[in-house]
Amino acid sequence: MSKAASVAGGKKTSLAGKIFLAVVAIYLLVPFVTTFIYSLFVEWTDILPSGFTLRNYIELFSNMTFWSSIGRTLILCIVSVAITIVLILLAMYVVVAVNRKFAGAMQFLCMIPYALQGVILSIGIISLYTGTGTILSNRMFMLFGAYTILVLPYIYQGIRNALNSIDAEMLIQAAEMLGCGRFRAYVQVVLPNILSGILVSSLLAESIIFGDFVLANNIAGTNYQNIQVFLQANMDVSSGLSSAIVVVIFVVVALVTGIVLKLQGASRKSVKE
Amino acid sequence: MQQTAVMGQQEAESAQTTTKALPRRRPWLGYLAIVPFFLVVALFEIMPLLQLALNSVIGRDSEALGLENFIRVFTTPLYQQSIWNSVWISLLSAVVGIVVAFLAARFCSDASPRVQNAFTMILNMMSNFSGVPLAFAFMILMGNSGVLTLIGQNFGIPFLADFNLYGSEGLVLMYIYFQIPLATLLLIPAFAGIRKEWREAATILRASTFDYWFRIVIPNLMPSILGTLSVLFSNALAAYATAYALVMNNYALLALQITSRFKGDVQTDAATGGALAMVLIALMVACTLINNYFTRRAAKGRELV
Amino acid sequence: MAYIEFHDVVKRFGDNTVLDHINFGIEKGDLVTLLGPSGCGKSTLLRCLSGLEQVTEGKIILDGADVTNVPASKRNIGMVFQQYSLFPNMNVEQNIAFGLKMQKVPTDQIAEKVARAVDMVELKGKEKMYPANLSGGQQQRVALARSIVTEPKVLLLDEPLSAIDAKLRRALQSRIREIQQELGLTSIFVTHDQDEAMVMSDVIQLFHAGRIEQAGSPVDVYTKPISEFAASFIGSYNQLTAAEFADLTGERVDAGNVVAVRPETIGISTEEPEADDAYVLKGMVVGSMPRGNVLRYTVRTRTSVLRVDVLFRSFHMFNDGETVYLALPKHDCLVIPAAA
Repeated sequence: MSKAASVAGGKKTSLAGKIFLAVVAIYLLVPFVTTFIYSLFVEWTDILPSGFTLRNYIELFSNMTFWSSIGRTLILCIVSVAITIVLILLAMYVVVAVNRKFAGAMQFLCMIPYALQGVILSIGIISLYTGTGTILSNRMFMLFGAYTILVLPYIYQGIRNALNSIDAEMLIQAAEMLGCGRFRAYVQVVLPNILSGILVSSLLAESIIFGDFVLANNIAGTNYQNIQVFLQANMDVSSGLSSAIVVVIFVVVALVTGIVLKLQGASRKSVKE
Repeated sequence: MQQTAVMGQQEAESAQTTTKALPRRRPWLGYLAIVPFFLVVALFEIMPLLQLALNSVIGRDSEALGLENFIRVFTTPLYQQSIWNSVWISLLSAVVGIVVAFLAARFCSDASPRVQNAFTMILNMMSNFSGVPLAFAFMILMGNSGVLTLIGQNFGIPFLADFNLYGSEGLVLMYIYFQIPLATLLLIPAFAGIRKEWREAATILRASTFDYWFRIVIPNLMPSILGTLSVLFSNALAAYATAYALVMNNYALLALQITSRFKGDVQTDAATGGALAMVLIALMVACTLINNYFTRRAAKGRELV
Repeated sequence: MAYIEFHDVVKRFGDNTVLDHINFGIEKGDLVTLLGPSGCGKSTLLRCLSGLEQVTEGKIILDGADVTNVPASKRNIGMVFQQYSLFPNMNVEQNIAFGLKMQKVPTDQIAEKVARAVDMVELKGKEKMYPANLSGGQQQRVALARSIVTEPKVLLLDEPLSAIDAKLRRALQSRIREIQQELGLTSIFVTHDQDEAMVMSDVIQLFHAGRIEQAGSPVDVYTKPISEFAASFIGSYNQLTAAEFADLTGERVDAGNVVAVRPETIGISTEEPEADDAYVLKGMVVGSMPRGNVLRYTVRTRTSVLRVDVLFRSFHMFNDGETVYLALPKHDCLVIPAAA
């Protein structure tokens, strides 16, 4: 009796569950889908949009400001993430090969930006350096510095987990016993084994910088427009063009996310094997 | 006696010559590698924070060390309102987010692998849809001439027709939007820790479905739920781009007010901004501490299992 | 002067003294086992010799040179770790060749030496495989080949077999011993397994709480434990306090001593034996347990419980509750100082 009830209950929840998941999925998808449709039509002043067109995209892709803001965004993404990777790889060398006691301090310092997020970070930096007349008052310098800090938690966690999973400390000791210096062992033996871990976390960091508005707007603003600031500046000017920008941003980030998921799935599979 | 002394000397000599021949350890050299990291962290993380702290304790008018700025922050209606709005909007969006996420994660963990994959894919993709693009999408959807607003007007649905996107209602709706994917992605792994055997054991022990959920599952998930809640709360507190794109600086919200003290159209007010920033930091640190406490407890619980 | 010498080696981690004035030497070509329970300092001493750990005080001489402050990579010492620690991105061949490349050995010689090492550890045909696709035993063979191919001055083995199952373990023990003797390679083997130490060593250094408790050949250490700790760690000696011993045999020994008797030296019979060279006690069988080819009886005497091992021959077994007589040969009753 009770068994039959629980089986029936199980079936019921599964249907209710499907409906619930579908509702959540629709809620999450509607804003983007609407924007996407909006970007493909001349106007949407009635219930249904009218006048299919690619005009918005043609206009966007022939807009030089758009390309230069994309270019700036990519430079910011790649350079900042590269700097952070180098900083953390060097610092983690000290943790795994020289003195383990730094692990706690590293963890603490790397997780602070996670709690602070963009607003505090950006105003702290402009408050400290604006108008000091040093090289640090250069907006670009501040922006790169800020992004380096912003992605610290993600890169740090990625690299630390990769190092733990191969037991880097032991590998370095083994290499050392074979006549290889510690730093050389770190470069020749450890690094090749954590590359995929670094790749995943750096792609994640790229997508975070790509989606950043706060730091770019607060620190550089119109002096060095990234794609998000470009979008914000266009929002009041042309909603058609803006919708196309939103779609482009989303597609780029979705592609990066897709690659990350694929890489993570692949590494999980290989671990299982 | 004499002989052993000579022996000792010889030994010392031979030891000396060999240490000359063999390379010596230089442990300090390795520490150099951590210097660039500390340098960058000091320049762009620690010192800016200290600067804000310093701003907050030097009075704007008195120019003396003291709590002047904090007193102003807690007595000026605009700032009081900002703190209050930030807290309640964040809390509400976090609670709604976690309830939806709890159900979604629960159904997702029961679903077939195909549904699971599709759903987590959507969550992952949409968790990136935030900030300015999100605000823009909601404007198209529910703004003054938004698609849903039009539908609401045409079909006479007052909720849609009269929805005010450019105020607290709109902010809450959008904040809930970006909380759901984040919260669900954080809770799904916790549901994976609920063992199938628990249900079987509970059934054998004659527990009802209600007992099973409220005496076994939810207590076990509580650390994850509370930890996620604190992540959501601080995530909403610090959110800036979404609100800024929607209402610029024309709303009493902590993140907006802090930024406009430093980038004001008229004049900057680092002292007040610093104090506001300290309030925000205090709220977020409290959140992080709560989160750490619960994740640590969750980790302990797992060890016991 | 010995090939390897430890002079007053002290190692502290904070307030915790892990090695407390260690002094001994190792002769060239010997396989020496550092034996002891976990946490006794045996692995730490090995790591100090390897250079992976720095000594707090004292010095270490290797082949006539003071290596105390020489970095690990320059000591020319081979080491096999418990967790194998193979490089996951390199195949078997590349793993083995790594050390030779570090020594800048010419390429043709590398190939030749690697092939010989692969042969020696019986891994022919697996040269191109990656560590992830090898079993634990195979990985440990690669690790062994990797550390002997560079012809190190000493080979250190840090519990290399403790993650490998019992059957394979015995095969690897004898293979390691064969290779070591074939190459005349001075080796130090760390283990907490007394059987392993017995099988493999020329000399056993028995460690206890950061000190060397006893040193000697396997036979010496086994048959002549010099302390209560040594007796309890090696073999499963029956230990009787001075009072118990006096009560059972009428012989007096100093109160600070215990009497240790190995289970297999004790005779057991249903009839009272006549023996001048043994103490005869009456007891009752309270349990029996087969242990491989040996049957272990637990016998309760008037004041104590003794373990008695007899070869597992089925023609006569004693039942629980049966009254038996035990014969303790006098020369096998070792009087040793009791632990403090």
